[in-house]
Amino acid sequence: MNTSIIKLTQASLINFLSPQWSAALTSQIHTSAPLCRVVSGKYRITKKRDRPLTYEMANPPHYIAHRKSWNSWNTSSLKDGLRRSETVLEDEFIRRFMTGTWHGLVCSEVIIKRQFNHIRVAAIIRRAVSPTKMYFLLGYTEELLANWLQCPVTLELQTVDSFKDVVFKYI
Amino acid sequence: MYSTVVVLRQWPKLACLCRAASSIEGQMLPQSTLSSDGISPPPRIPRGPTDLLQALAATVGPDPTAAHYKYHDDPYLIPLSNYRKRAYALSAEAGRKAASWVRDNHSEWFTTREWDPPGKMKTPYFNADPQIDAFAPRPIYNDETKVTEEDLQYTMNNALLEDSIKIFQLLGGSEGVSDDLKLQFLQLLCFYNEREPDSMEWLEERWFSANTRERQSTTWKLGSLADTIFTSMQPKTSEAYCAIIQGMAKYYQAERAHMLAQEAIEQGIQLSTSVYNSLLACVGFLREGVVLRIEALKELLMKMNEQGLTPNEETLTSCLKSISAWGGGRPLQQFALQIIAEFKQLGIQPGLSAYYYLLCLFCKERGPRVDILSPILNDLENRQKLDAREPTDTNFFITAMSVCSDHLQDINMAERVHALLMKDDNYKLVGDAYKESIYYRHYVTVACRHAPFEKTTQLLDTIVPNIYVPEPSVMEEIIKTLEVGGAGDRLAQAWSQLIVFGHAKRTKLIERLVSAMCTCYPYQDEEIKTKMRSAAADILRFDENVEEQADKKDLRSPVKKLSANAISNIIELCSDTIDKADPIWDSVEAGIQKLQREEASGVPTNPQAIVDVAQKAAALGKQGIAAAAVTYLAECGFEESTSASVQVLSIMLNRPAEEVEALLQEQQPDPLTSSLHPSAAAVAEAYQVAKTGVRSRQADTSSSSSDSESSSDDE
Repeated sequence: MNTSIIKLTQASLINFLSPQWSAALTSQIHTSAPLCRVVSGKYRITKKRDRPLTYEMANPPHYIAHRKSWNSWNTSSLKDGLRRSETVLEDEFIRRFMTGTWHGLVCSEVIIKRQFNHIRVAAIIRRAVSPTKMYFLLGYTEELLANWLQCPVTLELQTVDSFKDVVFKYI
Repeated sequence: MYSTVVVLRQWPKLACLCRAASSIEGQMLPQSTLSSDGISPPPRIPRGPTDLLQALAATVGPDPTAAHYKYHDDPYLIPLSNYRKRAYALSAEAGRKAASWVRDNHSEWFTTREWDPPGKMKTPYFNADPQIDAFAPRPIYNDETKVTEEDLQYTMNNALLEDSIKIFQLLGGSEGVSDDLKLQFLQLLCFYNEREPDSMEWLEERWFSANTRERQSTTWKLGSLADTIFTSMQPKTSEAYCAIIQGMAKYYQAERAHMLAQEAIEQGIQLSTSVYNSLLACVGFLREGVVLRIEALKELLMKMNEQGLTPNEETLTSCLKSISAWGGGRPLQQFALQIIAEFKQLGIQPGLSAYYYLLCLFCKERGPRVDILSPILNDLENRQKLDAREPTDTNFFITAMSVCSDHLQDINMAERVHALLMKDDNYKLVGDAYKESIYYRHYVTVACRHAPFEKTTQLLDTIVPNIYVPEPSVMEEIIKTLEVGGAGDRLAQAWSQLIVFGHAKRTKLIERLVSAMCTCYPYQDEEIKTKMRSAAADILRFDENVEEQADKKDLRSPVKKLSANAISNIIELCSDTIDKADPIWDSVEAGIQKLQREEASGVPTNPQAIVDVAQKAAALGKQGIAAAAVTYLAECGFEESTSASVQVLSIMLNRPAEEVEALLQEQQPDPLTSSLHPSAAAVAEAYQVAKTGVRSRQADTSSSSSDSESSSDDE
């Protein structure tokens, strides 16, 4: 239904506006159907069957809420939810910041949960650096993210010995 | 655990009570809200912004089985030794500090202000509502900064001392600043004595801060900025005098402080009660001798009375502080009690600091035993709430516990003190990490010495290792208690605890542990005996590893070796097995070899233990071990070695001891030894060494073929 509305407005706009504007407008509104749903969020099987997958990766998107759960927990997508685009952007920023700061240590997806004004960031970390360094990074990450996002941020980490501990299967 | 908010454990009950009380009051005094149908809603109870949170927090008590919540809940990240606790907490804080350094020095990256909801957005980038200062970059001041008086106000409000001095100078010193600000600045300088205070932001740093004992020496800087500001102020107001006198008195510039006070009084300037309090605290610096000092103190109190000032709780505390600093003795104690009685008449109850000074005064290390603690505890236990009023309040509990442990040596008192500390949110009064560990050191020591065994172990199970990790001296005390209590399995556990707590390289402690294990060993169950044996073997292995590492690293300071006594104890423990195939025999062999290589300090004081081991080994067919043990005994020149070698040889050859002795005394070692098994030959050799003190021929003493068949063939 959404697409039809958009198409309708597009058509009316094109009719309404002068031709030199129409090109810009049509190119900015994305109207194509999500054709990639067949492949998105799924991993291709390799010839040698040696691609490691975590449990989260092994389950395709349609298993969300059945076999696995969401990577971002927030209420922005509910009816009258606030800060939709900001939340998405911030989550992406947190993920990139985490993987960059804990370089080569993050073994899982970064899970972001928002409760009230509190952001909890969970991840599985490899025990490749000493606990002292981990505590340093913990304090550093929490403080910097808190300063950027202007709210308390808590890291909830779990550690594993090696990346192999989180591998669910090879495909 | 140190700041767990346990305000009201029985919150709902209390709230109920409050409501009931207020409604009764409401009935007695009819309010306008009372409706005609007789239903009177209870009056609204005013709540603070954090009341709800505190009520929630009160439902959760401290959990001694978990690590403190400042540590991450993951097996890899939970600290178990004192060193690690400190290192982890401070590392996290160092990370925070690094982040705020980035924020302050690169404030251009931190310009975003989040807004909520987006519909209310007015101007992007500065629309946070409410704007949270804690997340905003802090200004950095240097010589080029354009500053105003507002900056000075800001730095003074946040107690940024060095920044405020810089701004003050940039503003042009005393001339460029208004009188009001100048006075505030003077107060700040006097309060901190021009030293940057520890920031409130870095909790862990304060908690683990170096245990700098407050020393009673003059630290006030004469002719400093505070002095120049004070002299430049015209006219000098009462506040200025108060500030400078208090600052001087606080940092023990006593004479100048008293001079200034005199000057102020002569000029008819009103001084506040707190000025007199601070003067009272340093009155002892003016006079020598107890009598003169007491007189000076009384004089000052009289002067206060003349000025029409009423004393408060702080007055009492500073009087007692002065008195306790003047030493001990009967007259001072009497005087202190008089003062307290007088203040009680005025309706002023002594606070925790006052009691702390009282304990210092009465409970001297080598003084007579005075039980002043129990009336103090009676008073404190009856109080509704213990408030922290002065910094020295945190000294009370540690001093009370040390009095229980060293002075009174009374476990019941110690338990009362601990119960008081655990009541409500009194745990905030424990001070810092240093004080907390001393507190528990005293508590555990007194429990080990005077409490029943079950109670002690229960206490240890509760507080070790999450709340408190015993220091080596306390660990020794614990091992002693376990030895007396005869808890073999706990002694075996104590070894693993030693490793976890990082005490495993302390030779003295390990020797103590091994000897305790030896004492308890005979009367344990078989299962526990096995545990103890494996612990003993593990001690030996660990020691070897340590030595290897030390060799590899080529450390300059040599590792302290285990004493021969400890090793012989370990050998004795390990050899108590009747199973020939038990791998524990390897440890026995390693231990004897260690002794032979002289890698242990001294010689064993109980050679009979090694004799027993040799006989047991020979009986089980471990000739190599038996021969090595006997050889070692002979080389060390023990008297027992002669009889031991005869006995061992008789067991090996399966002949009566007399016959063997006769054979050995024939003085024909060569034909005898040539026909014997190498181990037996080594024993015979040992006999000769023990007899004559010299070696008859070069023999391979460390025959390692221990598992070969017994050589009982005839000559």
